[in-house]
Amino acid sequence: MGEAGATAAPQIELQGIERVFHLGDSAVHALAGIDLAIDAGEYLSVMGPSGSGKSTLLNVLGLLDSPSGGRYRLEGRDITTLSAAEQARVRSRRIGFVFQSFHLVPRLTAAENIALPMMLAGIAAAERAPRVEKALADFGLVDRARHKPDELSGGQRQRVAIARATVMQPAMLLADEPTGNLDRATGEEVMRLLEALHEGGVTLIMVTHDQALGDRAHRRIYMEDGAIRRDSGRGAGLGR
Amino acid sequence: MIVRDSVFLALRAITAHRLRSFLTLAGIAVGIAAVILLTSIGEGIHRYMLGEFSQFGTNVIGIAPGKVKVGGGPPSGLPTSVRPLTIEDAMALERVPHVVGAVPTSWGNAEVAFGGRTRRTTVYGVSSAATHVFNMKVRVGQFLPPEEPSQARALVVLGTTLKRELFGAENALGAKVRIGGLQFRVIGVLESKGQFIGIDLDDTAFIPAARALELFNRDGLTEIHLSYQEGAAVAPVVEATRNILAARHGREDFTITTQEEMLRTLSNILDILTMAVAALGSISLLVGSVGIVTIMTIAVTERTNEVGLMVALGSERRTILGLFLGEAVVLAVLGGLMGLAVGLGLAQLLRIVVPALPVQTPLLYAVLAVAVSALIGLAAGVLPAHRASRLDPVEALRAE
Amino acid sequence: MRTRDVFASAFGAAAGNPLRTVLLVLAMAIGVAAVVVLTALGDGARRYVVREFTSLGSNLVIVLPGRTATGGVNPASAITSTPRDLTVEDARAVARAPAALRVAPVVVGTSEMSVGSRLRDTLVLGSTAEFIDIRRFTLAQGRFLPVEDWDRGSPVMVIGAKLRSELFGAEPPLGQFVRIGERRFRVIGVLAASGSGLGMNTDELAIVPVALAQQLFNTNNLFRVLVEARGRAAIPEAKKQATAILRERHGGEEDVTVITQDAILATFDRLLGTLTLGVAGIAAISLAVAGILVMNVMLVSVTQRRAEIGLMKALGGSGGTIRQLFLVEAALLSLAGALAGFALGHVGAWVIRALYPTLPAYPPDWAVLAALGTALVTGVLFGVMPARRAAALDPVLALARR
Repeated sequence: MGEAGATAAPQIELQGIERVFHLGDSAVHALAGIDLAIDAGEYLSVMGPSGSGKSTLLNVLGLLDSPSGGRYRLEGRDITTLSAAEQARVRSRRIGFVFQSFHLVPRLTAAENIALPMMLAGIAAAERAPRVEKALADFGLVDRARHKPDELSGGQRQRVAIARATVMQPAMLLADEPTGNLDRATGEEVMRLLEALHEGGVTLIMVTHDQALGDRAHRRIYMEDGAIRRDSGRGAGLGR
Repeated sequence: MIVRDSVFLALRAITAHRLRSFLTLAGIAVGIAAVILLTSIGEGIHRYMLGEFSQFGTNVIGIAPGKVKVGGGPPSGLPTSVRPLTIEDAMALERVPHVVGAVPTSWGNAEVAFGGRTRRTTVYGVSSAATHVFNMKVRVGQFLPPEEPSQARALVVLGTTLKRELFGAENALGAKVRIGGLQFRVIGVLESKGQFIGIDLDDTAFIPAARALELFNRDGLTEIHLSYQEGAAVAPVVEATRNILAARHGREDFTITTQEEMLRTLSNILDILTMAVAALGSISLLVGSVGIVTIMTIAVTERTNEVGLMVALGSERRTILGLFLGEAVVLAVLGGLMGLAVGLGLAQLLRIVVPALPVQTPLLYAVLAVAVSALIGLAAGVLPAHRASRLDPVEALRAE
Repeated sequence: MRTRDVFASAFGAAAGNPLRTVLLVLAMAIGVAAVVVLTALGDGARRYVVREFTSLGSNLVIVLPGRTATGGVNPASAITSTPRDLTVEDARAVARAPAALRVAPVVVGTSEMSVGSRLRDTLVLGSTAEFIDIRRFTLAQGRFLPVEDWDRGSPVMVIGAKLRSELFGAEPPLGQFVRIGERRFRVIGVLAASGSGLGMNTDELAIVPVALAQQLFNTNNLFRVLVEARGRAAIPEAKKQATAILRERHGGEEDVTVITQDAILATFDRLLGTLTLGVAGIAAISLAVAGILVMNVMLVSVTQRRAEIGLMKALGGSGGTIRQLFLVEAALLSLAGALAGFALGHVGAWVIRALYPTLPAYPPDWAVLAALGTALVTGVLFGVMPARRAAALDPVLALARR
């Protein structure tokens, strides 16, 4: 796909994004002037040494962190000027997170964890139930529905977390070292799951320090000292 | 967020740490139980007191000589140099509309003697209307007959205790007793009225007022008691009484006190006492609420990463605040209910053990107890919940 | 483990969680402070009453006309007369009792008095010169009733402070005349303003010679006879002698009630003491609640420090040492709370004293010790279960990740 489809506006647009942390007297530029455009449905990996700002970038993309400067447009809307409540809505409906340490609520069952985003959005129990059922079936967790996280294996926990992240049908999935706490085989399973979701149309952005994992992505971004050093290119490899 | 879901999440959080939650709500429970028990006892005393006072009949007005400006309160029976209240005054007051009976009263302490036995006791000079006004019933014989005061015969009606002391089991009617040196014929014995705050009401003798004035060598009555119709308004009766007496005396040199006023004053005093005692019990509630603050603070610290997660999932700060606040309220209300049950139980137990005291828990107190618990939960949970809602999501997610 | 290290460890644990520690200390402190303040209040009231009573005139024996067989004081006997009066003669006879230092007959009633056009209903008291000494009142102006024959009385009057200002305003009252009924009395003295004492408030009182008062109220009967005994030891004697004298004079009948002020005082003392105890007891329930919180927080602590405990065991610490550590922590927290409460309570008592200077609101020693002791014991008691739990932790499980 070359220039022909380039007239479609990017789903995600970062312009001159800065993120400065003040530690004592010194200022740390975690992000220093990031320009980034991502189309809907892309599969990106963000790599770099520790302290490069890749996690910060993910946090900014996921509206968990506000940039100190610059503009962030999501699906054409300028996110940076939104109120906290509106940002929360965006997080709820357009963004899904997958964390390295899963972050499941220990006292809720697998099914209840999956239902959590819907509960927060005020969706009625009657409407939640079938969606939870479907998610459990899709991710092979039907016989684990009533189990609490401490009764699940690492792989199962991450699957619950992914089910939770996708139950609201977000536009993008942000994954921060999703296989970091898993063994090789389970990690492979999870990667295939995520990539299947990507094939379904969702934008997948993954932060990793594992080169092998990062290379699986269609577009690869390399960061260092808060700036993008290498970008394998927008639209590059989309046809792969 | 739907309320039912909030409650569900709060309950999940509470049951996740059974012992901890139990101990937290036990703190509130102890406070509520103490307050409920104490106020129930207070209510019991209140009813007991009102009951005791009411045994004299509630539609009663007392008139005493002298305008008591000093110290206030009901007439004390002190002598006065002002124009005395007479038996004729009492008779005149019977004409007041709605007045059912007017009893001229003069009481004192005297020795009653019969057949070698003597007993020092209280002697009341009254009229035939006394049975009605003082709610007394005659057990044997009859009460004093209605007579012209100047022709009042030397008759006496004995209280149960007095009769027993002087006559034992023998019949007392027709016997002649000596009171303070004068002779009286017994024409009746009263039914037992029991005790009134420790004073034996049956250790009494009733003679005509005129004879009492003679006995104690007085000019005027100690008091006049009026009883008026049930349901009649007291103000017009007081007004009419005042006018008639003032006309007879030339001016208002007497004091009128209504039973209603006295009961109201007593009631107020008892209410204040009960509240004071409840306030004491509330000290425990205060400590209990500190308990909730502590536990909620710990909970927020423990679940910091959870808060980060919620923000990531799209929860507003307000929702997070509400969730933690809700937990605190649920804890407190559960504690309140438990305390209510324990307090009620103890109150009922007390009632069985001490039947004389009508310990009672008014519904209002029970409802208030639960409402107060909810408020405590709210107040105690505010600060920790607020802290939770202010957590930075990125930091929170990094926390252990 | 060495004591100093135990304490250092406990201290460190507490300091590691400042907010939690503060809240625990606060909970204990509230309980202790409440007990301290309330007992200060109660004891202050008790001491106030005792002081007021003592100022009524010590070594006092009081004779009342009338008595019931059921014993005790009864409304009927308190006010009224009996067929045989308690007379001034009786009072004079009692004055001859060896144990009696001074005697004053008392008659009381209400009357209307006038000065010029000013009318006022007043409480009038009839007595003798001895009255002011027995009752320990003081004069602001002039002098008291003269020493004279009790059966006569010069038409003089001593008035209370408020009565003075009401009847005479700014004018000097001494030498002026007050009219009661058909009589005129010359004001010869004004009593000093009395505080809000428990005894009779004399501010609205008018005192005249007993004989004249009896004429005024047309009675031969006395309200009371006040007897001051020769000394504290003489009080029982005085009581016995007075009773005997009066019985003899009344034809062998004991138709009077003789009570000592001590007895009344003792009753009040006991009553207020019991009340204070009850109030403190209720306040002390909060200490139990604070104890529950200590247990709760320590249990959480044990759970959170599992790894630490497992490590200590792995390094050779015994169950007893672990238990001791946690118990000491609980004790330290309770102690801190108790001391904080103690300080807070004293501040509270000080505030009460500042607001009500006449009330000697000092927390009694027994209450302070009881509160501190209870707080400590409660804290340690409620710390036992968490300590045992900590000691019982399996080191392998404790060190493994959850």
